[in-house]
Amino acid sequence: MTPLKKEADERLLVEAAQRDPARFADLYDCNVERVYAYVCRRIGNRDEAQDVTADVFHQALANLPSFEWRGVPFAAWLLRIAANAIADRWRRSSREQQPGENDPEPYPVDPVNIEDVERRAMVFSLVETLPADQRRVIEMRFAEEKSIREIAAELKRTEGAVKQLQFRGIQSLRAQLDTSLGKKSGEAYG
Amino acid sequence: MAEQNHGEQLDRFVDAVLVDRRAALPDADAELASLARVAADLRGLPRESFKERLRADLIRRTSMSSKPAVAPQVTEAVTPYLCVSDAAAAIEFYKKAFGAVEVLRLDGPGPKIGHAEVRIGSALVMLSDEFPDYGTLSPQSIGGSPAKIHLYVPDVDAVAQRAVEAGAKIVRPVADQFYGDRSGQIEDPFGYTWIVATHREAVPAEEMQRRLNAWTKEQAAVPARPSYMREGFHTVQPYLVAEDGPALLEFAKQAFGAEETMRAVGPAGGLHAEVRIGDSMVMMGGGIPGRPFTSELKKTALHVYVRDTDAVYAQALKAGGTSISAPQDQEYGERSAGVKDAAGNFWYIATHKGETYIPKGLNNVNVYLHPRRAEPLIAFLKKAFGAQEIGKYASPDGVVHHAEIRVGDSVVEMGESHGAYEPMPSMLYVYVPDVDAIYQSALAAGAKSFQEPADQPYGDRNAAVTDAFGNTWYIAAHAGEAKM
Repeated sequence: MTPLKKEADERLLVEAAQRDPARFADLYDCNVERVYAYVCRRIGNRDEAQDVTADVFHQALANLPSFEWRGVPFAAWLLRIAANAIADRWRRSSREQQPGENDPEPYPVDPVNIEDVERRAMVFSLVETLPADQRRVIEMRFAEEKSIREIAAELKRTEGAVKQLQFRGIQSLRAQLDTSLGKKSGEAYG
Repeated sequence: MAEQNHGEQLDRFVDAVLVDRRAALPDADAELASLARVAADLRGLPRESFKERLRADLIRRTSMSSKPAVAPQVTEAVTPYLCVSDAAAAIEFYKKAFGAVEVLRLDGPGPKIGHAEVRIGSALVMLSDEFPDYGTLSPQSIGGSPAKIHLYVPDVDAVAQRAVEAGAKIVRPVADQFYGDRSGQIEDPFGYTWIVATHREAVPAEEMQRRLNAWTKEQAAVPARPSYMREGFHTVQPYLVAEDGPALLEFAKQAFGAEETMRAVGPAGGLHAEVRIGDSMVMMGGGIPGRPFTSELKKTALHVYVRDTDAVYAQALKAGGTSISAPQDQEYGERSAGVKDAAGNFWYIATHKGETYIPKGLNNVNVYLHPRRAEPLIAFLKKAFGAQEIGKYASPDGVVHHAEIRVGDSVVEMGESHGAYEPMPSMLYVYVPDVDAIYQSALAAGAKSFQEPADQPYGDRNAAVTDAFGNTWYIAAHAGEAKM
């Protein structure tokens, strides 16, 4: 998909959601992996990353009428909301924390590389296209963070077979990623 | 071997990166390094359950924000408004079956739901409980709904499966349709029929008409099911009994993938169940806890055609059956095996090696009798039921090892008892056009009356006779809808 076509499609989705909020789900589907990839790059804790992601979409929904199309991709707008939400959270937690006690991790100063976020978002959404058994193993391993042994027990397969599925899953993700990235180079967010 | 090695090394890296996202990428090998990079990207993969929850939450919020004081934008849309006997349960069912999301629920008057809205994909469905005072009645109160709801989904097979698991009944199994959809019909537990479909192929209108005409012509050539037979039944059904009825039922399910279509307490006070195996029905009876089975425990042998004899044989053993014979290729062009269930019934499992796995003219399930002598039984079947002999194979010493006798749309098979195959008086349920006439001809052919013709509360008129070898034949005609 060329960037121009993509922009036109996205614009239609945004305008549809502005007219009928029920259509917001389409925007959510297109962007949830991206926002999550961005947030979890800066917040290591899964529960917190989920909270912030939810927060971003709640705010986006509430502020959607004020979103104006000025050539800035909708995704960039979402990531700006995310950046603010994360900053708010850091400020709040450092105020609440007593000095010396459970020091919060230092505020991540390194800016998040947007290409890295795009790549991760794409890996996340490509997981859905894997064959069912590979997908199941990848989800159990990376989303549910289970050990090979636990997965083997749950799926009633040998550990060797589970490792093999994990290997094949990652292999086919890489192959698809190479194809997609090849087509997408040149796109960037301002 | 190299791949296995890579698999191990990659897994060690996955372990490391799950603990620390800054784990060093292995640099030994470019191939492995690029896979490790993908694994590192996968760290923190969002959970499906989280994404779905948040999505549902957002949809709930949008539905609230889309119902402001001002009327919603007028767009033409036809929205089904379903009245159901239990709206709360219906909402749960639509969630489970169709992935519906509840967007609005107004409680009351009283304990009822006055109005609710769910979204299925992008479609809205409204529903409420019954309010007889306002003339709002559900299909269950007025004997069904003539309107059907058509629902397009991305994967009709998966949705139909989920719907059945959630309590729906299949009215028409999912199949490819001439007009380019793959679809099936289900009846939800509240009496509404849904045509669930996935669009597969754009068919021009003229082509649709052509295919419809062809189909109509084809249907005209197929003889209609006689009214004296219940839908889905053949002329001859085996009727298996066991002291432990539910265990027998469970065996059929686990071993043969039998689908339970009915389970009730029969007139004799025990279990009456019916299961479907492929194109055939098997009736079952037996004791249930607290109600021991008091009738005679007969044993029946069945010849069941399956796609994969070895697999079904293994399932049957796993389900608690004992082996009669392990799978082997037979010289008559079948691979077959035999298993005995806990109640002593024989299940001959077979796969025909031909165009289809069932030989032409036979059904998935066929009764196999083991009389002491075949000839008198064949003569009885001819006289009593107007049966026809299709084939008979006797050894030089005159023992009939195998005979096939056509009765209506079924074939009754038999082999004279010899060796391990002892006489096995069985029980069968046969649909006939005229119970009283066939009962008389069965008596005239030498059978003894076991039960005189009578109308049964479950919608059949039936009688029963016992032949010279102790087989019990129920002679039945279907009169109305079965209600037990």
